[in-house]
Amino acid sequence: MAKDPLRTPFCEMMGIEFPILAFTHCKDVVAAVVNAGGFAVLGEAMHTPEEIEADINWIRSRVGDKPFGIDLVLPASAPGAESVEDILAKIPAEQKAFADHIKKKYDVPDPKSAEALHQWGGLNQEIARAQIDVILDTKVPVFVSGLGSPAFMIPAAHERGMKVFGLVGKARQAEREIASGVDVVIAQGYDAAGHTGNIGTFSVVGEVCAVAGDIPVIAAGGITTGKHLAAALCLGAQGVWTGTQWLASRESDVDMIMKEKLTKITADDTTYSKSVSGFPMRVTKCPWTEEWASKDAPKTLPSPYQMLLSSSYTQAANDHRREDLMYDAAGQGVRFVTELKPARQIVFDMVEEALETFEAITGAEA
Amino acid sequence: MVERRKHPTTRGFDDSMAGKRAECDGGGQLPGMKFGVRHEFAGVLTGDYIDHGDPPWRWFLMRDLYLKPDGWAQDEVWCESQMVWLVEE
Repeated sequence: MAKDPLRTPFCEMMGIEFPILAFTHCKDVVAAVVNAGGFAVLGEAMHTPEEIEADINWIRSRVGDKPFGIDLVLPASAPGAESVEDILAKIPAEQKAFADHIKKKYDVPDPKSAEALHQWGGLNQEIARAQIDVILDTKVPVFVSGLGSPAFMIPAAHERGMKVFGLVGKARQAEREIASGVDVVIAQGYDAAGHTGNIGTFSVVGEVCAVAGDIPVIAAGGITTGKHLAAALCLGAQGVWTGTQWLASRESDVDMIMKEKLTKITADDTTYSKSVSGFPMRVTKCPWTEEWASKDAPKTLPSPYQMLLSSSYTQAANDHRREDLMYDAAGQGVRFVTELKPARQIVFDMVEEALETFEAITGAEA
Repeated sequence: MVERRKHPTTRGFDDSMAGKRAECDGGGQLPGMKFGVRHEFAGVLTGDYIDHGDPPWRWFLMRDLYLKPDGWAQDEVWCESQMVWLVEE
């Protein structure tokens, strides 16, 4: 009998059945994926330490001793601090007028509630440190650093029997994180949702695998199907980090309007736009992104000015559930998200398609 | 309930880093959004650093930026020490 190509050393290390990692902001998705034999990571960057602790307890009550992870966006650089009032005062009249023009043209209502943004930037690691304290004290099985280096906290995590994964966008970041003791490296390519690095998934996974030695590498960026999983394993990865397909899972807490929208769009319906945050970011197209891409639009502003300009539109779209206005971050693999399925089914469909792919290539039954 | 702890911050100056050209693979979470963003910087380290907590989480100050992201409005940046690469001169 042929060796199971999906049973990678990463699966053995983690005690899981399938090398599929779900990244999600919804704890119901975490529980469903973990109980289906995969691995799941809850993004907690926006949450207080108390909320993180409550989520960890909730997940443990659903998955028992099975491993799961918590992800934080550790900062890697930080600007000086500015108040929101100072920033608002610096937004030029031309861009402000263009934002008002969009709101009028598309009949964008006022948001139902204002965002609580009081301080912008600044070298304030106290928040991240308090989040990390909870993760260490509760001995979460896996901590994932979604951006900055976790080097300073790796010894403390290992002392508690935890594992630490680092998400990187370049081979040199992987080399340094491996030297500092991370257990797993996630190599994320440009195809991913949101703000990404500038190297494509195929290239960055290959580069990171070449320097990783025995440390497992997980591929990320645009990975949505079983064929993608098979391709990632062929590149040398031991698993895949996935995001967009979970947004449209039955368990996901994403608005149903947005879920249905995700099942109807393709990579062409995403755009790498500076109009939302001031930095290039992959999101689904919407009137806001398209108007700022038009020839009559003024230049987008640097962050944080552009983000403050867009925040009212974004919150109004979500508060009033306006399908024509709504957008979300989505990876280039969104074409393959075609129906609303339970998370468990998404895991099984990926596994089945990956095995069929290997069979088709090798002619042997996996 | 996990107890909140204070993490002391100490400032210092590392003479061996002062004036060195360096690159920083930076970034962080965008305030008010669930997304992170990667930023690339290159400039000159001043030698100033901040150690946050114990074990220390070290940050270097970089000025004279000759590479910064399009959306970066400021002229200096604090860089997490593990994300700094000295440029060989």
